[in-house]
Amino acid sequence: MNSFNPTELMTRAFTHLRQNGFSLGVGELLAARRAIAGGFGETPQELFQTLKIIWCHSPAQQSQFLGIWEFLQIPSTPETAELTPTSEEIDEIELTQNTQLPEISPPLPETKAEVKPEPVIESLPVQAPSFTSLENEDTFRLQLHYPLNRRSMIYGWRHLSQLVADGPPNVLDVKATIEQVTQQGFYLAPVYRRQMSNHAHLLLLIDQNGSMTPLHRFTRELMETATNKSSDLQPEKVNVYYFHNIPGNFVYQDLYLTKPISLDEILANCDNGTSMLIVSDAGAARGYRKLRRIRATTSFLFQLKRYSSLIAWLNPMPKDRWIGSSAEIIAYLVPMYYMDKDGLSNAIDILRGQSLSSLD
Amino acid sequence: MSSVQRLEFTGNSHEPPKNRHPDSPKNREPYVVSDDLKKAVNLAIHLRRPLLLEGDAGCGKTRLASAVAYELGLPLYRWDVRSTTKAQDGLYEYDAILRLHDVQTRKVGEAEEQVNQTEDENEVRFNRNPANPRDYRKFGALGKAFRLQHVPAVVLIDEIDKADLDFPNDLLTVLDEPWEFKIKETGETIRANNRPIVLITSNKEKGNLPAPFLRRCLYHYLEFPNDPDLLKVIVDKHYEIEQEPLQSQLAQNAINRFLKVWNEGGLFKKPGTSEFLDWLKALHTFGSEPYDAERLIEENLLPYRELLFKLQQDWKKYAKA
Repeated sequence: MNSFNPTELMTRAFTHLRQNGFSLGVGELLAARRAIAGGFGETPQELFQTLKIIWCHSPAQQSQFLGIWEFLQIPSTPETAELTPTSEEIDEIELTQNTQLPEISPPLPETKAEVKPEPVIESLPVQAPSFTSLENEDTFRLQLHYPLNRRSMIYGWRHLSQLVADGPPNVLDVKATIEQVTQQGFYLAPVYRRQMSNHAHLLLLIDQNGSMTPLHRFTRELMETATNKSSDLQPEKVNVYYFHNIPGNFVYQDLYLTKPISLDEILANCDNGTSMLIVSDAGAARGYRKLRRIRATTSFLFQLKRYSSLIAWLNPMPKDRWIGSSAEIIAYLVPMYYMDKDGLSNAIDILRGQSLSSLD
Repeated sequence: MSSVQRLEFTGNSHEPPKNRHPDSPKNREPYVVSDDLKKAVNLAIHLRRPLLLEGDAGCGKTRLASAVAYELGLPLYRWDVRSTTKAQDGLYEYDAILRLHDVQTRKVGEAEEQVNQTEDENEVRFNRNPANPRDYRKFGALGKAFRLQHVPAVVLIDEIDKADLDFPNDLLTVLDEPWEFKIKETGETIRANNRPIVLITSNKEKGNLPAPFLRRCLYHYLEFPNDPDLLKVIVDKHYEIEQEPLQSQLAQNAINRFLKVWNEGGLFKKPGTSEFLDWLKALHTFGSEPYDAERLIEENLLPYRELLFKLQQDWKKYAKA
């Protein structure tokens, strides 16, 4: 007769979940213990429900937890067999994070015969991306993997704000009102301050098509978060343009590269306070180093630098991929960062003009 | 602290408890609870952690709070979050300008110690004394819940994703030990005598909630009841409580037709339970007689489809059948 020990099963589940990337702390462990003490985990099924409610925070995590729980239900798994699937897991995670075709790891079918392998992170069925109500779920799932998520983007844009008090005078200033009343001796009307408005001007240039096609979703999020209300940037002060590989004399106003506008016209609207952010792989995705591209990019960058010095470059490829490609050279001309949370915040620092470690 | 008996939510609201708080909902809420949801609510009550409810629109996230408060006889305080909401609004609001105004228009007397602090804020309003800052503070949903002496309250924080990104984090400091907040204008510290039961709903409109907040909450995802039997139970319960006449054949056909539409797919926005119930009501009562049940099954054209489809593409899809 199996003696069911809820606390022990719960602790094992906790360690497995933490290994699989769930962000759980000691508080959650103690909460689970209190729940068990309160009688919420009499049978394995009940215990599973209880832990699902406490530890999972999205449908994706719930299905992941289900897989891990079923794996844990096999009682006689030797410790060594558990370790080998985990190391294969790590390889598989690395591979799925690069935008390459995932390699089929040969040792995995072997261990499958012996013991049910640890479930992969990607446990939801893959759906074709559709721009309907399913989109939220799709985007959310991808955010689990990609290093830069929507929240970081929004926080980044918020840091760009340059608040200047030049709006209409409609913010109530309580302190000033009280001071005025004490000086005057009577109260007539409240004192108003001018509303702050954001004077940050952002020029966002995004590489489209070709090697950037797999990253369209993320560049679109970058564009959306910059232009919607939550970023605190004024919509008329955010200019988004698209180009393919190299900007040249023309850039395009739309995603499909059909409405050209000349670079001079755009730059005429920029002044030395304009922040310019370029998002492109600069040849790092395919790994070619082409002199033509480097030369064209250089002249483009010099043209930008005539107007503003707040220029940064975001590269979706990680730093070790830049070596040997055009990106390596371009990285010497302009501050180039990898498109993750740290990279974005460093780039935003440069765009604000407040970075201490700028090289040029 | 008074002894708190073990509160349990069963979803069965036929016999409400005898001594209910005056702020508890007066009307019985027609709500059918699944076992998972029941468990989640009971866990939230036991652990006193907030319960985060996500799910499709119109599936009964907000109504759950009324159902829980009605069954347990607890007061329900509702906080509707908007895009400009700050965390402090749920705790208290302090009207400084009104106080300044009163100083000019009345004589300032000594600060009279109000012996009986009435819970009813509206009474205090007409009898304001500018020397006493307490007359100018008004408690929000969480503030009222904290001030209750004998029973815990049910606090509903509705649509938390509408607010600013920082809002859930600001809220976290209040919903955790030591369950207290300070009012700097009056110098009081309000501590919760009974920790409230907090239910939070979210539509995931603007992206994810912050990680420390999610960690603290319990989570449940409300799915659409894609089962004809389940829908029948919901319809029956709804009509039983509202005491309206129900045509069972019409209801059955409506359920089948609705599920057929829902499962067919190709809709940009799938209708939820509340839309279905509105549609059923229209079928029963909008015309001079209830809609013919047979016609509903045979005819291709969906009647009153504006109640179900809110996007032009969906509406057109069922226009020509």
